Amino acid sequence: MASSSSDVAVSLDGLGKKFRLTHDRNWTLKATMLAGHRTRYEEFWALRDLSLEVEHGQTFGIIGGNGSGKSTLLKVLAGILRPDEGTTTVDGRLSALLELGAGFHPELTGRENVYLNGAILGFTAREIRRRFDDIVGFAELDRFIDEPVRNYSSGMYVRLGFSVAIHVEPEVLLVDEVLAVGDLTFQKRCLDRFAQLKAEGRTIIVVSHDLDMVGWLCDRTAWIQQGTLQAVGPSSKVIGQFAIGIDPTTPAAHTGDGERPAFERLSPNDLVKSVALVDPNGHPTNVVGSGRQVSIRVRYDNQAAGEPVTVALGLYRADGTHVASINSGATTRGVARSNQEPDGEATSELVEVDYVVPALPVQPGIYELSVALHDTSMRRVLERHTHILRFEVSPTGIDPQNGLVALGGTWEAR
Amino acid sequence: MPASPRVPRTPRDMLDRLVGRLQIDLLVNLTLRDLRSKYKRSALGWTWSVLNPLVAVVVYSAVFSVFLRIQPTTGDPSGLRSYAVFLLVTLLPWQFHVTSLTEATRSITANGPLITKIWFPRWVLPTSAVLARFLTLLVEMAVLLVLIAVLEGHFAFAWIPVVLTLMALQLLFTVGLALMVSAANVYFRDVQHFLGVALAPWMFLTPILYPLNMVPEDREFLGIGYRTLYQLNPMVSWAKAYRNALYDLRFPSAERWLAIVIATVVVLAVGFRVFRGLEPRMAEEV
Repeated sequence: MASSSSDVAVSLDGLGKKFRLTHDRNWTLKATMLAGHRTRYEEFWALRDLSLEVEHGQTFGIIGGNGSGKSTLLKVLAGILRPDEGTTTVDGRLSALLELGAGFHPELTGRENVYLNGAILGFTAREIRRRFDDIVGFAELDRFIDEPVRNYSSGMYVRLGFSVAIHVEPEVLLVDEVLAVGDLTFQKRCLDRFAQLKAEGRTIIVVSHDLDMVGWLCDRTAWIQQGTLQAVGPSSKVIGQFAIGIDPTTPAAHTGDGERPAFERLSPNDLVKSVALVDPNGHPTNVVGSGRQVSIRVRYDNQAAGEPVTVALGLYRADGTHVASINSGATTRGVARSNQEPDGEATSELVEVDYVVPALPVQPGIYELSVALHDTSMRRVLERHTHILRFEVSPTGIDPQNGLVALGGTWEAR
Repeated sequence: MPASPRVPRTPRDMLDRLVGRLQIDLLVNLTLRDLRSKYKRSALGWTWSVLNPLVAVVVYSAVFSVFLRIQPTTGDPSGLRSYAVFLLVTLLPWQFHVTSLTEATRSITANGPLITKIWFPRWVLPTSAVLARFLTLLVEMAVLLVLIAVLEGHFAFAWIPVVLTLMALQLLFTVGLALMVSAANVYFRDVQHFLGVALAPWMFLTPILYPLNMVPEDREFLGIGYRTLYQLNPMVSWAKAYRNALYDLRFPSAERWLAIVIATVVVLAVGFRVFRGLEPRMAEEV
């Protein structure tokens, strides 16, 4: 076997999958016989010409809008749907978490369903017996395991489903939007379990709308739109491209790049010369720890503006959620004056302002910054650069947290 | 191929591979699911599976033996002359045939959520539906043997190996049919309705309620004798063979065995063929 292909766990080559859209399905034999082979249907390519490689041990994200073909792709990979074009190759035992507890029978007990679901997922009875206590323990259902699952709450149901699926120990795991399971404690345990699988060198392919989660969990990400591959690469980069791609107000020419500050969009004639994040040591950075200090440094040409300006900053999550907006009010006028040369003859006067955030109060994820310059009365926009800077907020601390903002509190026993 | 399959070394290895290949664990679990869930939340539970043939035998005996005066053949060489036994030894395998096919037909369509979410070999669904019914048949046949020994003084225990062979072949035959109808039903829901319509005449065209010799030999249809046409139905061979073993206490003739084996092999092979062909797009159509 060629050494170059041995580290590829999953490979797709020119994959295509089409569906038939029949507006008037011939559900009966008679109708089909009468219509013969002239059954009318529209062909629709859910996936087309898709080529990808996922290496062993990689955590790979798949993002895209609704109906982009993400789930179809997972189903093809899982063997549920057969491709109409191209091939898929999976090296190693594969398990797919497309729906939790899909094989459960409501009348059977949790215990019976664990064995049933395990068998459907490819376990032998011996393997399940060995892991049974782990499965039940992980799902926190020790007391209810001999109850019929129809009496389970929906949370208990999916917890048991997740627990069975996650204990299969697949070499390749496919996950479709199932991480939002159970309460926070359980979600945390799920993520821990994924981290553990990742550490064990298993290959995980995740389909999700949760860009933060994909950015946090996945090494590489593919963005699929209308069944074709738009971008593939390091997660932060692809998520950035996706976030811009779904925001029509952003010029298409601007492709945010998660690895470098994106200044390509700024032309020499623009008033704003640079926007950067600066760590407490004064070094430019692109990654900020949640709850850590950071400064947003904006450099602009005060002279060319021809009047005192107000700097406005807008902070957005990569999915477009508006997090915060701040403007400098009159502060920057003072800054500008103090920097002015005594003779005041210069045609260009670069002003640098820092907006110092002592503890960045947002959750880990990918964020974007918009910058605008206004007149001091905030009535006119002199210049606006939307989503000009993309950066990552990395997780810090050990307490599980979630949501939009990082409260930054501490627990104290009393 | 991404990885070459492991070469089996020990007998244990080979056994494990065979068990995996035949999906034994999955079959066992799905069969148990069918059996366990069948009578959950019903007061009489398993009694129902005994009541069903019991009611049938009472009603059929009344109508066909008492009202219509159909005479059972005299067991040769057993000398037995009992319509109830005559009926039951073929009725139980027939009811297995009917319920298996009825349940197998819907086995894939009814498991739609499973089919669209998890990949596993789909043939296990109709097969486990048949297996669940087969276990019921085993119990019923055992009860029948004991009952006729106690009530009629008719001892057929020596013929158990023959009956088990017949049952095993019927199981394979039914699995073949179940594969066909379950797969076809995914694409055309007519199949389940068609089956409901077809099974009733099929029963009357099989010597269950009456002896085979009541089918006229001297009359012809398009130059073919009624009896010959009649015997194109493979279930005739099973009915006759079951009756030979359990009622007459006689070894079924070589022609019967031949017909049974041919029917089994052909139907099973065609069944798997058809299933394979229809399997790939099941998740889309179900």
